[in-house]
Amino acid sequence: MSQAEDKFDSIIVGAGPAGSACAYTLAKAGKNVLLIERGDTPGAKNVTGGRIYTYALEMLEPGLYAEAALERRVTHEQIMLLGGERAITVDFHQPGFNAGDQAPMSFTILRAVFDEWLAAKAEEAGAIVACGIKVDRLIEQEGRIVGVVAGEDEMYADVVIAADGVNSLMAQEAGLIKDIAAKNVGVGVKEVIELPEQTISERFNLRTDEGAARMLLGCTEGIHGGGFLYTNKQSISLGCVFTPEEVARHRKSVQEIFQDLKMHPAIAPLIADGESIEYSAHLVSEAGFRGIHPRLYREGFLMVGDAAGFVVNTGYSIRGIDLAIVSGIAAAKAIIAAAENIALAGPNYMQELNRLKLMPTMKATDGYFEVLETPWLYDKIPNLANDVMEKLFKVDGETPSGVKENVLGAIKANGLSIWQLTKLGIKGVRSL
Amino acid sequence: MAGIFIYSDKADITSEIIGFARLNGKLPVVLTLSEKDAQALRNAGADKIIVIKGQSEMIENYARAIAAVLKNEGAELFAVGATPRGRDLAARVAGYLDCAMVSDISSASYKDEQLICTRMLYGGAVQQTEKLSGLSVITVPAGKYEPVQGEASLQTLELQADTRVSVVETAPIVKEGVDLSKAEKVVCVGMALDKAEDLQIARDLANVIGAEVGCTRSIAEERHWLPAESYIGISGAVVKPKLYISMGVSGQIQHVYGIRDAGLIVAIDTNEKAPIFKAADYGIVGDLYQVVPMLTEALKK
Amino acid sequence: MSQVIACYKWVADEADIRINADLSVDLSKAKGKISDYDKNVIEAAVQAAAALGGKAVGVTFGTADAKPSLKDALSRGLDEACYINAQEASQADGAATARALAAAIKKIADVGLIICAEGASDTYSRQTAPRIGALLDLPVVTSVSKMDINGNILTAARKLDDCMQTVKVELPAVVAVLPEINPAPIPGLKAVLAAGKKTVTELKAADLGADLTPRSTVSEVKGYVMNRKNIIFNEGDLAEQVKALAAALRKEGVL
Ligand SMILES: Cc1cc2nc3c(=O)[nH]c(=O)nc-3n(C[C@H](O)[C@H](O)[C@H](O)COP(=O)(O)OP(=O)(O)OC[C@H]3O[C@@H](n4cnc5c(N)ncnc54)[C@H](O)[C@@H]3O)c2cc1C
Ligand SMILES: Cc1cc2nc3c(=O)[nH]c(=O)nc-3n(C[C@H](O)[C@H](O)[C@H](O)COP(=O)(O)OP(=O)(O)OC[C@H]3O[C@@H](n4cnc5c(N)ncnc54)[C@H](O)[C@@H]3O)c2cc1C
Ligand SMILES: Nc1ncnc2c1ncn2[C@@H]1O[C@H](COP(=O)(O)O)[C@@H](O)[C@H]1O
Repeated sequence: MSQAEDKFDSIIVGAGPAGSACAYTLAKAGKNVLLIERGDTPGAKNVTGGRIYTYALEMLEPGLYAEAALERRVTHEQIMLLGGERAITVDFHQPGFNAGDQAPMSFTILRAVFDEWLAAKAEEAGAIVACGIKVDRLIEQEGRIVGVVAGEDEMYADVVIAADGVNSLMAQEAGLIKDIAAKNVGVGVKEVIELPEQTISERFNLRTDEGAARMLLGCTEGIHGGGFLYTNKQSISLGCVFTPEEVARHRKSVQEIFQDLKMHPAIAPLIADGESIEYSAHLVSEAGFRGIHPRLYREGFLMVGDAAGFVVNTGYSIRGIDLAIVSGIAAAKAIIAAAENIALAGPNYMQELNRLKLMPTMKATDGYFEVLETPWLYDKIPNLANDVMEKLFKVDGETPSGVKENVLGAIKANGLSIWQLTKLGIKGVRSL
Repeated sequence: MAGIFIYSDKADITSEIIGFARLNGKLPVVLTLSEKDAQALRNAGADKIIVIKGQSEMIENYARAIAAVLKNEGAELFAVGATPRGRDLAARVAGYLDCAMVSDISSASYKDEQLICTRMLYGGAVQQTEKLSGLSVITVPAGKYEPVQGEASLQTLELQADTRVSVVETAPIVKEGVDLSKAEKVVCVGMALDKAEDLQIARDLANVIGAEVGCTRSIAEERHWLPAESYIGISGAVVKPKLYISMGVSGQIQHVYGIRDAGLIVAIDTNEKAPIFKAADYGIVGDLYQVVPMLTEALKK
Repeated sequence: MSQVIACYKWVADEADIRINADLSVDLSKAKGKISDYDKNVIEAAVQAAAALGGKAVGVTFGTADAKPSLKDALSRGLDEACYINAQEASQADGAATARALAAAIKKIADVGLIICAEGASDTYSRQTAPRIGALLDLPVVTSVSKMDINGNILTAARKLDDCMQTVKVELPAVVAVLPEINPAPIPGLKAVLAAGKKTVTELKAADLGADLTPRSTVSEVKGYVMNRKNIIFNEGDLAEQVKALAAALRKEGVL
């Protein structure tokens, strides 16, 4: 094969949302793009809780979301605080939320179908998609990244884009990140439980086409982390995210804690009689703004999506898919703009990330990290809330104590002080 | 002459198919290349045994001629033993007749002059029922029907062979393994084993409980660690032991097909999602290198 | 006579088949794949084509869903592919399948060897190769575990249940190979890229001039379910689990 046949304008490693969005944008601009994915199909092994904000798809192409492989439109935003056997559920229902075709919206999704669909869009736009191929190394010449090695084969390009997810091997190869620090990642486990569409709608009080996104606190045995539950069309995605360091010190394994969650009296009836059709585990970046790698490019090389550290964990939701797509678009635009001088791709990319509001978003949510660092957020607070509720609703014929006494008593019983809570409140407000 | 024409390179299956024909009130006519088989089958209840004479020792090579005989004789069915030679012959005859054929039937019965057959698809996950009318072909696995008795007339028939394929050499396969289909207990190993020597772990357990050692197709056909007759499944041995214990067997449908009639199925595998656990009565999720020696010890007492 | 035909089939992955409570079969969640042993067929065809100095051509008869198979098959080293895209494939029995394949193969010039697998992962009916042989009146060799091509002569080792038989045949011929004929390699990046540039001839049912109606009538399709106890011992450590299992086996009286 001649050198020309071995060369592309861009090679993208990883057909997750970041890689496919990047490939789509480049291919539509007429670039000769190769998208390499190690899974037999895109998304085969990818893990996500399960929701996407469609503004990112709008950015990719207006109206695209309408044909996307999506599950249910989120109209119920829920928060659930678990304390022992008890549970408080806050349900924000807005039937018009994300309604009709007023993009942007938020939908639940299943990654295997979504990723395959997005990669197919990139292929339709002219990108060459090679699945079942794992990229092993980068090729470097005179300080520039000029290509990739997969098995026996070498392939060259003006730019290589690392879209290979959290703990990116490509970024490590390029010398831009070290092996990931355990402190900055969470480990997520997730199960997809199949149930009839009708049953899901009934259990969650959903009308046709409606969906619920639920965030769970107090389900991780005090370990820094939380759970999530998303209603898909014919399945429920249930999972937890934990800090691995703390899990290592804990007496129970991640699987055991997750099993306990499934048995919780407030969760078990929701998934009863369902069949588990998928179980998976994956890392997720948790550090937010400070988890973004200090250098996101070098000559001939850009990092997008999770590989770059673009994940926002606000405590009530994880956002990574939308940011992956936006960063993929940003990288593509940067490369297109650098047609004359490819060395400008990197600096252009940083500008695009700001212009497309990705960096500002990450920065604005930075404070969450500190709030989320608060160790007692994961057991005492949910328990406290449940204690207060219990006192509030318990009638035993005794002279009732005032609400204030009740709350103060509960705070004390949970080993907390007003001062700690106030400090957390201030931090919380600041982070917003 | 109407009736069911029968061929198998295994005389036992021939007898069983004769039983099937008689059961359904049809005249069984046996075809054979072997004078010896013809003699052995004299009292097996056939109406007639036709010994084929011709230029080839391979029955497959008479497919075209047999198709013509079936047509001329007005046969209603060609029922063939489901062995490698038999399946080849049967499908070639079906090809020359361009007629329906059901391979490896699970069951067959007549209703209103139609033959209703069931067979497995997707490695055993699905059962399909097909209706055949007019001259058709089926292949019949061993052990489906009871043989009957009764004397047959003998006849020879000169047939034109297709000699384009010729035999250069034949080497008998010496059966090293035991007949798993008759084993009372089976210990089964899968691709989880790192090396051939580790088979000892399975043998130790087998010795303690008095079981035979079987395996998955990959162990026999890819790694050649055990003889071909040791593998269990849709293309291998179908077993019906009281107890079957698997270790490091994922339990793909083609394998599980072979253990459906086992009394009790026990599975040991590291992957809790391995399909074998859905097919098992008892299971332990764990490393066979740890679990099996412990189990062997526990069962010694 | 140097072209080698690899017949391969795009099938639903049996691991994804769902059996509903009423035993009806749900294939809607099943992904497609090249029938397992047809990967060995493709590799055998690539090697045979090299021995004959000709091209390896994949032929598949499937519905519109089979389209993704082409890239996969071509990346495994075939030079070209012929795709019979016909809705009839969804209802086809062994007779119709062989007629479709034989008709397509007739349109390909200079065919020296036609290779099928022992059996397809879905039907496993082991009919196709002998039927194609009969329809084209070519010699057939089945159960092939090894083959050598020398000039125009093919020598094959057949694995029968009581013996290993070595046979000889002059090409053209049809063979059905066992998976142990070769290890089917996983395609590399360049092979996958090259696949996109290869020629695919698409034929419609009408182009074949063959009768694609099945000869047998399917009257029922239902799932098979195994009802077992499904008890996993997971209480306590491994030693306790093993103890519990041993106790259960004693109680069952199977020892
Ligand atoms: C439990 C959990 C819940 C989450 N919930 C949500 C949520 O609800 N909403 C949300 O927006 N985000 C969520 N996220 C985050 C989100 O999943 C990620 O941010 C997002 O998937 C990032 O996309 P990506 O394209 O950058 O990387 P990925 O989706 O990880 O894709 C990387 C791709 O690269 C491929 N690849 C890797 N290495 C190689 C190689 N060497 N060669 C070839 N291919 C390779 C992989 O197979 C994969 O397909 C969650 C994450 C987890 C773990
Ligand atoms: C048409 C057709 C016919 C077939 N016929 C048959 C047949 O008759 N018989 C047959 O067997 N197969 C048959 N197969 C093949 C079948 O599909 C499977 O590929 C095969 O059975 C898998 O063998 P396995 O379980 O040994 O290997 P694998 O599927 O590789 O499973 C290995 C298992 O070991 C587990 N494991 C790994 N390490 C350990 C450890 N240390 N301790 C415990 N567990 C461990 C893994 O979790 C896994 O579950 C057929 C296939 C086709 C397409
Ligand atoms: N629809 C098809 N298209 C191409 N090849 C086929 C098709 N059906 C069967 N074959 C070939 O014939 C083999 C045996 O199939 P079967 O006779 O159905 O068990 C398969 O493994 C393929 O090699």
